[in-house]
Formats: sequence, C-alpha cells, structure tokens
Amino acid sequence: MADYARVDLDAENQVTFELNGRQVSAPAGTMLVDACYAHGVEVPIFCYEPRIGPPVGACRMCLVEVEGMRGLQTACSTPVRPDMVVRTDSPAAKDGQEGVLEILLMNHPLDCPVCDKGGECPLQDRSFKFGGGKSRFFEGKRHFPKPLELSSRIALDQERCISCFRCVRFSQEVAQDGQLTMQERGVQSQITTFSGDAYEDRFTGNIIDVCPVGALTSIPYRFVARPWDITNTPSVCGLCPVGCNTELTLRDGDVKRVTGRPDPNYEVEEGWLCDVGRWGFDGDGGITRLTRAIVRDANGERHTDLTDAVAAATVALRGASKPVGVLLGATATVEEAAIALELAGGALAGARVARLGIPAAPLAALRATPRAQLDEIERADLVAVVGGDPGLAQPITELRMRKAVLRNGARLVTIGSRPGTLADVATHVHAAPGALTAAVAELAAQIGATGRPVVLWDEAELAAEPAAAEALAEAVSANGATRQIELGADVNGAGLRALGIPATGLLEALEAGELGALLTVRADPRSAPGRVAWEAALEGDVPVVALATHADRTTDAATVVIPVQSLLEQEGTLVSMTGRAQRVRRGAEGPAGAAPGWEVLIALGHHLGAPPAYRTASAALAAAGGRYAGIEGLTYDAMGVGGVELPRPAADHLAADAGPARAAGSDGLALVATRDVYGGREASRAPALAAFHAPAAATVSPATAAALDVTDADTVTLTSPYGAASLPVRIVDGLSDDAVFVTLGTADAAAEALMPPDRGPVRVGVSVEARR
Amino acid sequence: MTADQIREYLEPRRHEFADPRSLVLPALKFAQTGRGYLTREDMEAVAEATGYSASYVESVATFYDRVYTEPVGTRVVSVCVSMSCQLRGADQVWEALCDKEGVDHHHGGTSADGRITVQEAQCLGYCDRAACIQVDAEETQGPHTPDSARALVDELRAAPDPDEYWR
Repeated sequence: MADYARVDLDAENQVTFELNGRQVSAPAGTMLVDACYAHGVEVPIFCYEPRIGPPVGACRMCLVEVEGMRGLQTACSTPVRPDMVVRTDSPAAKDGQEGVLEILLMNHPLDCPVCDKGGECPLQDRSFKFGGGKSRFFEGKRHFPKPLELSSRIALDQERCISCFRCVRFSQEVAQDGQLTMQERGVQSQITTFSGDAYEDRFTGNIIDVCPVGALTSIPYRFVARPWDITNTPSVCGLCPVGCNTELTLRDGDVKRVTGRPDPNYEVEEGWLCDVGRWGFDGDGGITRLTRAIVRDANGERHTDLTDAVAAATVALRGASKPVGVLLGATATVEEAAIALELAGGALAGARVARLGIPAAPLAALRATPRAQLDEIERADLVAVVGGDPGLAQPITELRMRKAVLRNGARLVTIGSRPGTLADVATHVHAAPGALTAAVAELAAQIGATGRPVVLWDEAELAAEPAAAEALAEAVSANGATRQIELGADVNGAGLRALGIPATGLLEALEAGELGALLTVRADPRSAPGRVAWEAALEGDVPVVALATHADRTTDAATVVIPVQSLLEQEGTLVSMTGRAQRVRRGAEGPAGAAPGWEVLIALGHHLGAPPAYRTASAALAAAGGRYAGIEGLTYDAMGVGGVELPRPAADHLAADAGPARAAGSDGLALVATRDVYGGREASRAPALAAFHAPAAATVSPATAAALDVTDADTVTLTSPYGAASLPVRIVDGLSDDAVFVTLGTADAAAEALMPPDRGPVRVGVSVEARR
Repeated sequence: MTADQIREYLEPRRHEFADPRSLVLPALKFAQTGRGYLTREDMEAVAEATGYSASYVESVATFYDRVYTEPVGTRVVSVCVSMSCQLRGADQVWEALCDKEGVDHHHGGTSADGRITVQEAQCLGYCDRAACIQVDAEETQGPHTPDSARALVDELRAAPDPDEYWR
C-alpha cells in the first residue's frame, strides 16, 4: 500500500522495540505506523501519506499505547526508539481508535450505497476493522450543497470529508500549485479553492487517489461502476516516454478509469499521474478510432474484415518489385518492432526498417554515460535541466524535482530557451536556441563542484545541438557521482533504439525510388516532422499498408488500413526514457474489427510464406530477447510487475544513425518545436481533458512580437525551407527573443510541416497573414 | 486596497512577527478598512503583498470571525454571549438587538438598510461589566441592558460613517 512508507528491515542502524508482546526491529527514525506495518500490524491511518510529506497528525486515527508515555500517541508521528513498548491492540489503544472513528463518522453521511468510493474506501474498511460499530450522535449532520464541481474532472462531496488535509497538502506541497485550502473552521471546515474557482491544473487527479473517503471523486467515473463490477490490471501509460505505472479499471470490456498503482513504482512515478495519463484513456474510442479495415484499389475504397485486409496487405507488399520499407511509430511496442525486424530478415527480405524519431548518433556518447532512474532526483543536491520543458513534455518528472527542492533542499537549475513550469522553484539560465553549448560549459563547472548532481537533458533539443550533447557527455562522465536522465521525445524511442532501429535512411531510400512499398506500424509520417518531404516521397504509386489505431493523414491515403488495438487493449513492452522495460497489459477489449499489432504482423509473416516461430506476444519478446543485445534475456517474467532496467547502450550504438549536417542559417527566427502532452493529439481526443484543449499557436516573446509588429489577435504564416504553416500568435513572457515556439503533436501538425525529418535546427520566416 | 498600500502598512510592523505567515492577519484587517469587508481583489492584493497564495489568504480570512469576505453593515455590533454575560442577561440584549434590526435570532445578520450588523461574540474579557458589547474594534462597553443596547444602535445609525473600517 502506498499509505505506508517502505521500511528496510535489513538496513544497519536497526532499533529493537516491543510490539504487541513481540521483539521487533526497524531502522532508527522510522515512524511507528510504518514499522508496525512492516511487521504485519496495521495501525489505521487517514491523514498519514509519506509520499506527500512529513506527518501532520490531523486525523488522530493512529492512536497506540506506548508504555511510559502519557496518554495515547499518534503512531504516524512517533519514531521508533530503543526498547519502547508499543501496544496497538490493548484495551486503551482500541478505545482510542474506536473513539476517533466515532468522531470522524459523526458528521459523515452513511451514503456508502450511493458513494463511488464504497467498496474501496479506507474509511469504510477501517470502520469495519477498527470501529466500535456504534454512534452516540443523534443530532443533525452537517450539510453542504453537493456535489460541487471542484473542477471539470473532480467532484467534491463536502459532507463526506473528514478534514485529513491530504488533498490540501498534495496541492500545496507536491504539485505546489497553491490552489486547494481548508476554509472556515470547526464543523464548517471545507476544502475549496480561492473564491471557489475551478481547480484546474496539471496533476489534480492525484487528490482523488489520496482521498481516504468519498469526498473527491472523478467526474468521468461518477456512478460508472462498483468495485465488485470491475477488475484492475497493472499496466504502463503509453502517452509519454516516462512510462508511469498505472492501473486500468475494467468493466464490460472497457477501460473506465486509470489510477496510480496502489503499490507505486518508486523508481518511476511514485504513484502519481498527470491528468493526461489519468484521463487520456477517454480519447481512445471516439469518432476517429478505426474499427474496420479499409482496402483501396482500382475499384475504389471498401471496408472489409481483418483476414481480407491482411491478404490485401500481403498482395501489396509481395507485389513490390523493390524492397519494402517498414516504418515504426513512437508507440510501436518492442514486440511489434522485433517481429517487423524478423519479417525484414525473412518474409520481406531486404526490407529497410526505421522508426519515426530522432536520429541516435548525436546523442550516443551522452546516452552511454551513467544513467539514473527518477528516484535519484530526490537524492541529488543539484538538479539541472538542460533544454525542454519537462513539466509539459514528461510531466511526472516535475513532481520529483519539486520534491527535491522543497523537501530535500536541492538546487534546481533550468537551462534553455524558456523558463517552463518549474520557474517558481528553479534558477533559470537563459540559453537561446542554438546556444546551449556555452550554457553547458557553465553547468559543467557547477557539476564539478557538487557532490551528487543529476542532469536531465532534452532529447530533441540536444540532438539539434550535437556540440552541446558532446560537451554534456563529457561533463557528466568527468565527475564520477553525476547521473543523467534523458527527457525523451518518443514513447518507445528507447525500445526501438535498443533493437538497433535507426531513425534515418528510410525516407532517403523512398525519395531515391529504391522502395516498392511501405508498411507503417503505429506511424503517421504525414503528420511527423518532415511531413512535407514524406508527403512528396509518398506521392507516387508506392502502396502503403498502415497499421493504426486512429484515422490519420497516413490512413486516409493508405492502400490497406488495418486497425490495431491501442496500448490499453493489447499486450506489449515499452521501454521508458530511463531505459526501463515495462509491460503494457490488456485492459479493454477494443473494437471488434481491430487486432493486436503484433498479431497482425505475425499473420503477415504467415501470409508472406515465412511464418515466425511463435504465436504470442510473450513468445515474440522472448525470441527477440535471445537475438538483440539491447534487450538480452528480456521476458515477461523478467519484467514482472515493475519492469526492469535495460543495460545502457554503448557509446557507438547506432553511430551511423545521423541526418545530414544542417546549418541553421541566420535568416528569420529560430523555430523551437515544443512538446506538450496536455496540448497533444491524444489529449485533444479526450472529452475529459477539454479544459486543456487549446488551439496551436505561434508563441513568441513580447519583444519578438513588437519586432514583428504583431499582437495576439493576429495570424502569421511561418515559412521554413521544409514547409509552411499558418498559426495564430500568442505572446508569452520569459521566452527567448528572435524565436518562435510551436507545439508538436497537435492536430494540425504545424510544427511538423516546418521541420526536416531528422528534426535539425530550423529557422523560419514570418509574415502576417491576417490582422484582427 | 492595493498591494502597494498593504505593503506600506506592513513594512513598519514586519519586525513584530517572527513567522512571516503571521503578517497575513494584520494585512487582512488593514485591507478590510477600505470597505469594511474583503473583495476578491483585496485578498489577491494581500496575497501579492505577503507572498502567499490567494487561496491560503482566503483560508485565513474565513477562519476569523472579524474578517469578512461578504458585505456587512456600516457598523458591526458584537454581543458577548459567553457565560458571565449570559448570567447578566446577554440573551435578552441579543434578542432585543436582533428584533430591533429584524435579523435572525440564531445567526444574527445585517439590517435591511445595511447600517447595522449584529453578531455573537465569545468572551470579550469584560466580565466585570457584563453584559458587554463591542462596536467594530472600538473599546468594549457595558454593562448593557436591552434598552441601553437599543439606544446604542440608534446612536450608531445617526452617527456619520467611519473613515476607516477597523473591525
């Protein structure tokens, strides 16, 4: 349970004490509740939540008897001491616990039968287990209007609140958004925001998970299911490269809810989720979901079944007189990539396999330096973020960095073209786009003078500045204590790289007319960076077989479209940006007309006359684990429920995976293609995330806006050597001047149109298209 | 009230408070002197002047009886209802004032003309002159009877509005 902190019973400094007549031990400083839990004794709690911060003793539930101490003690805030004698089940302790529960239940409505929390409610469970089962309170209970919409996603049933302060502390101390507080006092105490404003922020859903009663519930999940209707499946979020461990709640073959794991993965997300990870599942269905296969031929377009579509795909791929290209998207799983590689070695011999992503070569040296998992951020005394805006692109890392600063006093430095979401706790060192190298040199000196630095670096921004990446690699390896964490750009980029799949080569071959057909797996090159070049290369009569979950620009034009299951619906393995291989598990059943991507690829192998020697995802992974050094020995058993860390790639891994050298030139403004999972395609499909939906924009600093003579009512046309896009202007303080910031992954794929396929540095010309 | 005005008020008093959070209360009481209660903008100004979040400032404001987040009367009459005063007829004083101002006997309230707010107070420390009444933040007065209390609000109603609303 996340409620109790982990206790290392093998650590040195053990303290021995007596617990309910037994001699037990725990490390000095351990709180009594945790020590008891580690020894199989549950002391009931409500407000205690070690992930949020130090104990506050607000609920008084954890009363225990400690010999020699006057009255009962709160076990959450009493550390173990040598030879203390603790009783959690003595008449005095039981009387205290029953009394506290009676007070907590005094004003608590007994509406469990209509409460969403009923059946999975700590207050309910602990009332049964530790309560006296009686109440002496005959007066009227307090009433509040209900349910209050705390935000568009969270309902507040105020009368159920037991004033444990967990949500307030999460808001104030973990997310540090400063929004939730307790107002009024005594019996009128209530959780609210300033003036009752909506609690809209990026990590708000976690207060639902930490609420020990039914006061805070998810609006999309309201009255959807009962705990006995559902099954919970541990899985991994596939919406960004962090790889947060999640739990999928299933009912009637559908995912109804996503929550943090009750047993968190402390090396990754620590049980927290961003709101996109929590409610993004809501967009998995919807009108753009592909539910039937499509075949387009001389007779036009027809919907068909999977068997027919695989047959048509076989014809398209086998009919090619030249080699086939296989393009893997960022969310293609390790299994799918491995099967694709096997097809390229057999059934589609000579095929060229590539991934949609950032070329690996410029970052190879940096990736080979000592790496850390996210929990290392907590132990650091200096945390440096080089490039990017992790709070938007790899959201959960932000909470770790805030924890490092607030609870551990670490120094946080952000380096780059924008202060980002950490501006209130970080020292921002400004580095204009293209000028990271000098800033990295400065950082190197600071790292050298620090005991335990952790450097987080943005894959996209450092790939665009290879010199800075080289310098950072040197700085990290110079000090033996420094650890680096990649802020990855692509969900399974690390998994595809571990199989040796390059990001370059395929488009060039297509442009040179060397390929006879293209097979895409969860890839939409027509919406990817360099999409203008991809569109031109696909202009001819190259047949395209697309395996996809949702309709996109590629499936709109493909010869054969085969619907595949989403990452909520099929088995798979994703490798996080920190190199953790973790299992995605089957939650929802998915549309009847879709199949798992790996199964479609295996079927293609059979149709093409070179069947792989396995029939399941787990066997496909095991086979791949025996073949590729990057994932050597990887199996579902080896990953277990929390995943395993893969070995770091060697410094010469994928050394040839580089785009052509590009000079940015000096005309126009630098283009900074930003990542924002809250503004991305997946989030925009989810009705539950409507509060985040915002149109794509060309974002500039006030000085740049003045120099361009534009206001935020204008629309501008951006033009680069690779394409053009029209966007409304948005003006934001603190950004680099002479730069335009455009978000990647939006529905209109504007930033992608301006970029070359290998991303590279880009400068854009700006002309005013429309003034309001 | 602007954040600058609040800062100017706080600056000479800052040294009196060891914990900077304690500044929020004097800031709120000062911000309230403009209208007699706090608007959303007032609380945002206090937040800006003290460096705490607006929601924290509001949580402090709602905790205290003499900090108002909703409009109240031009003059606020607090009637002590603690034990000493009750023994000396505070109930009758309270009911007389509620009846005179036409407000609820349980919660008190503001008269229809907006001039007088009647509210309960816990012990005002004036037990030797019970039953006592405090008008705004003025010195507590007593002993009061229903008649003297009625005369007091008549006086208050006739008096000019205060320049600053200290409560």
